[in-house]
Amino acid sequence: MSGDAAHLALPLSRLSTGACEATTLYSELRKPLLRYLVCLGLSSDEAQDVVQDAFLILHRHLASGGPQENIRGWLFRVAHNQARNRQNRYDRNFSAASDAEMDAVAHEATPERAVLEKEKFQQLGKAIRLLTASERECLLLRASGLRYREIGEVLGIATSTVSDTVERAIKKLAERCNV
Amino acid sequence: MCEFSRKLIAWLDRELSVEDTAEVERHLAGCSECRSGVEAYKRVSGEFGEYCDATLASNARREAPRWAPVAIAAGAVAALVALFLAMPRARVEAPVPHSSQVAIAASPAAAAAAVPAAIRPTMRRVHRRPAAANVSIRNRDTSPLQNQNSYFLPDEPMIQIAIPADEMFPPGAVPEGIHFVADLTIAADGSAERLSLRPRLASYERRTTQP
Repeated sequence: MSGDAAHLALPLSRLSTGACEATTLYSELRKPLLRYLVCLGLSSDEAQDVVQDAFLILHRHLASGGPQENIRGWLFRVAHNQARNRQNRYDRNFSAASDAEMDAVAHEATPERAVLEKEKFQQLGKAIRLLTASERECLLLRASGLRYREIGEVLGIATSTVSDTVERAIKKLAERCNV
Repeated sequence: MCEFSRKLIAWLDRELSVEDTAEVERHLAGCSECRSGVEAYKRVSGEFGEYCDATLASNARREAPRWAPVAIAAGAVAALVALFLAMPRARVEAPVPHSSQVAIAASPAAAAAAVPAAIRPTMRRVHRRPAAANVSIRNRDTSPLQNQNSYFLPDEPMIQIAIPADEMFPPGAVPEGIHFVADLTIAADGSAERLSLRPRLASYERRTTQP
């Protein structure tokens, strides 16, 4: 009986809170990470590869007794660096998206809305394309719910720089979209 | 332009110190220009998030076929579970553990042998792998007395099926070391009451639960 149980799943009562946390993290952060990577310009396939790699690295990190503070920021940093290593596709979507791709995005967001709203959305897309890479990255990480300090850690810049960059980027978007 | 305009976005993001936050809030109460600025920044931030969601959705749609094998695998798992639900029903009817019940409850090895034989064709079609699906079944408790009690506690999962992630998803789709556990609750009348599938980090669990 005990021999049978050896290679099987552990009963619920013996699950550690750490393991539960890791699986919760996966379900909570998978989509925000994918969104960040796809918006950086990776294809959906590449983004999924990067997210899986990031969680694999997290798994090893935790298994080897690595620090468990701020895992969210840690995951975004790993994913960001992995995306940087795939420079060939980087920046495709936001800085060099074709008009057809932007139409598809606008249609995705506003399938039911009026033509006027669709135009406004395309205007936003154009405004995003005109941001610098660093401004886009800051806004993307901010949209993922990261604090300025965490954004600074992901991008390797000072918190005050993040604050200035976010402010500049949001004001540019607000100006160009006439809101 | 108002001198406070530089602090409005940091205020929106709750990044200011307590003193600065109070100062901005006092100022906002009396400055309509800054209030409309805050509204505009809030709106554009929301629209930026929507744009990101739409970009993700638009990309996922273009590459949708990637998900087809996963859907097929999910179907295969559903078939496995349906098969498993159908199988023990007849034999778990009596609440007292007599010999026929012990065959299920106390001999997971026998049950494990029965299930993979039945599901093997489905699993192989999904993954094109020659190896048999490594599905293992265990009952949650080991003593017959506890088994008897568990029939009257339908909230406790009675049977756990551990399924290696490799058997359900394409290679590489799930990080190494993750498997899935299906919890199955069987009601007093022998019918299956509840089923849940949970991902688990196998080796991490082992490491952290050992003394």
